[in-house]
Amino acid sequence: MRLDAKDAARLSAAVYTSIAMLAALAFFLVTLLTGDYSWVARIGGAVWVFGLSMIILMPTVTPWIRRRLGG
Amino acid sequence: MAVEERERQKDALQEVTLPVAGMTCAACVRKVEKALKGLPGVQDATVNLSAGKAGVVFDPAACAVADMEKVIEDIGYEVPASRLNLLVLGMTPGHCDIVIGNALRALPGVRAVTINPATDTVSVEYLESAVSAAAIKKTVRSLGYDVSEKGEGEDAMDRERQLRQAEVRRQLINMLVSWPLGAIVMLGTFSDYRPLSEFLPSFMNNKILLFALTTPLVIGPGRQFFVNSWNGLRRGLTDMNLLYATGIGAAYLIAVINTFFPDAGFGGERATFFEAAALLVAFIVLGRYLEAVTRGRTSQAIRNLMKLRPKRATVIRDGRETEVPADEVEIGDVCLVRPGESVPVDGVVLEGYSAVDESMVTGESIPVEKRDGDEVTGGTLNKTGAFRFRATRVGAGTALSQIIKLVEEAQTTKAPIQALADKVAGHFILGVHALALAVFLFWFFAGFGLWFTEDTRLVLTPYKLEDLGVFGLALLISVTVLVISCPCAVGLATPAAMMAGTGKGAEFGILFKGADAVEATARVRVVVLDKTGTLTKGEPSVTDVLAAPNPPSVGRGPSPGITADEVLRLAAAAEKNSEHPLGEAIVRGAQQRGLDVPPAERFGSIPGHGVEATVEGREVLLGNRKLMAERGIDVSALIAEAERLENEGKTVMFVAASPSVILSREGGGTQAAEGAGSDAGHSAPQLAGVVAVADTIKDTSARAIGELKRLGLRVAMMTGDNRRTADAIARQLGIGRVLAEVPPQDKAAEVRKLQDEGQTVAMVGDGVNDAPALAQANVGMAIGSGTDVAKETGHVILIRDDILDVVAAVQVARATMRLVKQNLFWAFGYNAAAIPLGAGLLYPFFSQVVSPELAALLMATSSLSVTMNTLRMRGYRPPIKRGPSAPSPERVEREREPLLEAGS
Repeated sequence: MRLDAKDAARLSAAVYTSIAMLAALAFFLVTLLTGDYSWVARIGGAVWVFGLSMIILMPTVTPWIRRRLGG
Repeated sequence: MAVEERERQKDALQEVTLPVAGMTCAACVRKVEKALKGLPGVQDATVNLSAGKAGVVFDPAACAVADMEKVIEDIGYEVPASRLNLLVLGMTPGHCDIVIGNALRALPGVRAVTINPATDTVSVEYLESAVSAAAIKKTVRSLGYDVSEKGEGEDAMDRERQLRQAEVRRQLINMLVSWPLGAIVMLGTFSDYRPLSEFLPSFMNNKILLFALTTPLVIGPGRQFFVNSWNGLRRGLTDMNLLYATGIGAAYLIAVINTFFPDAGFGGERATFFEAAALLVAFIVLGRYLEAVTRGRTSQAIRNLMKLRPKRATVIRDGRETEVPADEVEIGDVCLVRPGESVPVDGVVLEGYSAVDESMVTGESIPVEKRDGDEVTGGTLNKTGAFRFRATRVGAGTALSQIIKLVEEAQTTKAPIQALADKVAGHFILGVHALALAVFLFWFFAGFGLWFTEDTRLVLTPYKLEDLGVFGLALLISVTVLVISCPCAVGLATPAAMMAGTGKGAEFGILFKGADAVEATARVRVVVLDKTGTLTKGEPSVTDVLAAPNPPSVGRGPSPGITADEVLRLAAAAEKNSEHPLGEAIVRGAQQRGLDVPPAERFGSIPGHGVEATVEGREVLLGNRKLMAERGIDVSALIAEAERLENEGKTVMFVAASPSVILSREGGGTQAAEGAGSDAGHSAPQLAGVVAVADTIKDTSARAIGELKRLGLRVAMMTGDNRRTADAIARQLGIGRVLAEVPPQDKAAEVRKLQDEGQTVAMVGDGVNDAPALAQANVGMAIGSGTDVAKETGHVILIRDDILDVVAAVQVARATMRLVKQNLFWAFGYNAAAIPLGAGLLYPFFSQVVSPELAALLMATSSLSVTMNTLRMRGYRPPIKRGPSAPSPERVEREREPLLEAGS
């Protein structure tokens, strides 16, 4: 399957956003299960994990998708 | 077909160098390179941070320069264009403006054309690297219009300087905003603590006030980091700005939350990190400012060369002196240069005499005399007399332009060490974010529970963080890691040093063709020197003249003996009509000794043996032993001396003359000769003496070899000459390894043999004849290129014909690489040491964490160290060159004034 540049960018965005959200969700669930954290810590921590995950994933997933699927 | 297509594409490839403004670090370099390489038709892209240039190899059929500009601007950088304002006479509205506009817009690199026929003005915005001002003017002229530049215009150097100054100014303004505000915010934050509490009003600690002071800082000077990182991120590219943006953003966000929602669990009102956000901006801007200053300073050398480009020329047209812009001088034009003026273009002197200071181009400190037939170089300074010369190379073809181009190209290349540093720095940013995430998770789930105490403080502050919750501590340490890890100095470390080094080399007439040449030169272990023309003068000269100890009885009277000068005079007379290099050497030798060389009445060459001639009515024979034997001349009296000279690598020629000739000089000159002439002229020649000729060693060769050895290098000599001659020269110079009897075609193979022994080899030789060996060597040094540097092969070009420049090249390269390594140490070493501290290594023991602002200070210190270290290179002189230096453009200007006054 070959994608044009726009489609590749869209697919990349979908992939890295999903993974980052999963990471944040995982963080949130762990805070629920493992300790007595405040809601601010849980939500704030999940947001920070999401942000850093996005920053890490955006420049890695985008070229990877472009390489694999064209565009 | 596919092969043909590939070949066609390869042939069609073009190269363009684009100026890129706004890059600040190694990650920016990768970002721009990646973006350019992503364009269809772009084969390769190399970006140099310090030079602020991108070299792009592309297929013009698939990609236009405009596409490159667009993609660079899309990712947040600028491609500054130049502007040319032309006065075009004779335009009529509605037609001419369209014709001119279309013609100019068709030129590659022309961005915009604005034509105002009412004011006869054509304003062209163009990329200097793609099209020249001269080409633009020529295009308009070819359409039939008179063109002249409006005013002096701005040349590339001025524009580049303005661009750099604008960047320095921008960062300076940012500093002037951020530092006072940052200082007030910091004082306000700590105003509760002694001794600040004693003299600072309490309202300074008002959180709303701190918010009001910090916010303009973040959205003002700090805005650039957010905008640039977003521009990169949306294309999947990261750079240092991202680290700054996340660091500043997180600190500011926590402060805002703790101000307006103090119970949110981020540490409350006592943990409003406004000062962290403010000082982060201040320190990062300080780092930016220092980097901008450094980049400007390290390209000083090339700007100095550019400053030498003369602006005006006096051309003789139709018998009248006409002053024209130097870039409008054409090949064949006759130019006039008065004392104190610069030579406008390259050429050959037609008439006049002067001494010209060429130090700015060749590094030669002593002015060079110029007379009819001598070559002059554009940009050099005429010192004493006036002369006229015919232009032979103009515009981009002049030596100065070639040198500037060569140095510029060298500065856009990357040394292997730099490519590695860039790669590491590029991946570092992702790694740092991953580390920040890992550190956050560790302190959130484990560290806080294990070690948190109410005594928690920030390092070097009295600031207690007892209200800090788990999220606040983990986030604080995570942000500190982001800031403290920033490898911004890494991006500057290598290119800044390389620019300084290549520029410094150019100052001394040493042109490195790339950063890789600098690195390779510094690593050289064996230097192979071509003999003829490199170590020796390359032309034979008379070294010894010996008279026969017992001259033959001559004609009438007792034997009066013969002097060495008389032997040489006879030999020179016999060779006067010869075109053989040895004969020419003998004639030159006699003239240098002030001997009067009479013409030969009869001259005959005896191929492979020598010559015979009649001089002043006497028979003279000059040649080898075989010739003497054939003519029955006894050479036994000088045979031992002859063999000794031959063992020294010299070519020995025996001189025999009929007796009366000998008598003629000793017995009172001409009269005696004439008296003896009629009957003695037919006497058989007898041995008169020997003349030894050899290719003599250059004055500086022995010193250079000694210096190379002192640098720890092994020195070898390569020559096509016979073993005996080669050994003799090598003995005199102290060279241990001699590669003799190597024909030109085998020189490269000899170099390869040395490389196979595991040696890094530099080959020094003539750039034309030794080209294959120079290409084979790890470093090929073409020596004595003169000013025609474009034709030279090799990795390093030594403009002057002085072997000491080989030593200087090694010294400059080593100094440059030393600088690179020191810079990388300051840049990477700092990161390696600071990251564990930032990640909270000290916390379990001292309950102290590094604050984001301290992290920013450390980061700025790293940049400062690299900057200061690089600037040291400005005053560097290779030890072999300690002495009078090439004049600065300012000195040239100073010296020009009185000369001009005297001339007028």
